[in-house]
Amino acid sequence: MNGRRWPRRLLAAWSGLVYLFLYAPIAVLVVFSFNAARQTALWEGLTLDWYRRLLGNEVLLRSVRNSLVVAGLTTVAATVLGTLAALALARFEFRGRRSTRTLLFLPVIIPEVVLGAALLTLFGAVGLRLSLWTVVIAHVVFSVSYVAIVVRARLAGLDPSLEEAARDLGAGPFETFRRVTLPLLLPGIAASALLVFILSIDDYVVTSFVAGVGATTLPLHIYSMLRVGVTPEVNAVSTLLLAVTIVLIVLAHRLLQGGRSSS
Amino acid sequence: MMKRFFMIVLAAVALFAASCGGGGDETGTAAPEARTVNIYIWTNYLPQDVLEEFERRTGIDANVDTYDSNEAILDKLQSGVADYDIVVPSDYMVKILIPEGLLQEIDHARLPSAKNLDPRFLDQAHDPGNRHSFPYLWGTTGIGYDKTKTGGPVDSWRALFDERYAGRILMLDDAREAFGAALKIMGRSLNEKDPAVLRQAAEMLKKQKRLVKTYNSSDFANLLAAGDVDLAHGWNGELAEVVASHPDRLVYVVPKEGGTLWIDNVAIPKTARNVDAAYEFMNFVMEPEIMARIVNDVHYAAANQAALPMIDEAIRNDPAIYPPKEVLDRCELIEDLGETTPLIDELWTEVKAQ
Repeated sequence: MNGRRWPRRLLAAWSGLVYLFLYAPIAVLVVFSFNAARQTALWEGLTLDWYRRLLGNEVLLRSVRNSLVVAGLTTVAATVLGTLAALALARFEFRGRRSTRTLLFLPVIIPEVVLGAALLTLFGAVGLRLSLWTVVIAHVVFSVSYVAIVVRARLAGLDPSLEEAARDLGAGPFETFRRVTLPLLLPGIAASALLVFILSIDDYVVTSFVAGVGATTLPLHIYSMLRVGVTPEVNAVSTLLLAVTIVLIVLAHRLLQGGRSSS
Repeated sequence: MMKRFFMIVLAAVALFAASCGGGGDETGTAAPEARTVNIYIWTNYLPQDVLEEFERRTGIDANVDTYDSNEAILDKLQSGVADYDIVVPSDYMVKILIPEGLLQEIDHARLPSAKNLDPRFLDQAHDPGNRHSFPYLWGTTGIGYDKTKTGGPVDSWRALFDERYAGRILMLDDAREAFGAALKIMGRSLNEKDPAVLRQAAEMLKKQKRLVKTYNSSDFANLLAAGDVDLAHGWNGELAEVVASHPDRLVYVVPKEGGTLWIDNVAIPKTARNVDAAYEFMNFVMEPEIMARIVNDVHYAAANQAALPMIDEAIRNDPAIYPPKEVLDRCELIEDLGETTPLIDELWTEVKAQ
């Protein structure tokens, strides 16, 4: 009896440690966003001051808005392009299919610094002025691959007989796609969309290369604050962002669950 | 259900677009006649109300972006597609940008407010004759310490090499700054190029290592405030801030041997499209009352003589921000050492690896 319980307890303790390792920094950040002290390492009592200041800090708020705009646009563009790429690679025979498949991994493997420098050189060569749009383009470049990879994995696990059945029942190619393929792919698409959103909203390296006038995103702003010391204002904004992200994830999860039970 | 998902995505996008409103649209290429100026500057270097006054007075729309390192300016300007009209590089970066041809020559006749600047900070080695830049704010490197733990005032770099403080010292993880402290004790220049002298300095640093708790350039002020170390080698901005919040125990001092001086400068990139607006901005920030408002907000010292009487007394008399003249006279700018740089890097690696 006892001999069997031990491994289980060990496993529980180990899992606890892993969760602690993963979430302790986040918990500390949230707690310190309510810290009355200006330094991040000392606790001096509870306050909502940093949240109040945050609402008055236009530069910081603008950087949050920039981050949300970039992440929103990137998510839509990368998810659509990535899904189409995955479908093309899985369903159609065309010249260069294999090399395209391999090349698709490149943005995932390539170091971000290299990608950022390469994009900056490219924009310079074609004379594209740096702005918020160049940031969106850069983010789409590195996130399309993630979508294509995730969606392709989902496609590979799809039972082809379902699409065959739809066609047998008289559905045209578009109807089959809309009513059978797409709903089945949706969990993969939604998961990759979330992944893209998160990758985009916290990207620093690539963004720092290609951001232009009016395109300071939140990560850029936080790094630039390091010179004068990070104030708990940053903790406050991170906590809010965390809350938004959690709401988004719960929402997406709910949507997917709902979809599964109705089908 | 799928429809609902896309409706939500669409709604979210619409919301982002609406919320970015002006902000997002302004980011396109700015027509020169629209009277804008795009400023690329360190964080907390330009208070919001000063910026608003500039916009009110001139009718120019100012966009501000921030960076975290001088190298960011170099990257952006080298690309040739960054639309910045004003940049604020530090001394050594000005020296790199000028030969690269990335800064415009400044027409002094268009900057009547430049007469307010302190001659002490003009015509420096990084830009002789101020042909490409004018000084904005400046600061120093020194020692922050906890007077309740050191048992008395500290006024010399020797404190960082003192056995009594073993295990309670923090040094900047920065070759030039660390060598600077040792060289100053030896009565030498920060920009010493003699290999024999540099080797001697390296020996001092090697001996000192046993006393040093940590080498750190990013978090030194917090570690001092939290009591993890009692003496911290560091830059005045961050240290002045923790000193201000713990005046009962923390002190910042520029050692009597002199420390490092750094100057951040306003300049106009070659690629600037709104040159007239850039001149107007430079003139504006060099006005004494405007500069005084900036200093009162950002707590860095201004290279502006005429602004001094209008700066809060507490800041003006704070030796952490405005060190006494005789100390400042012994401070030096870090200059490019050219061929000696690899030797310093090598010696620093030896110190750290020991």
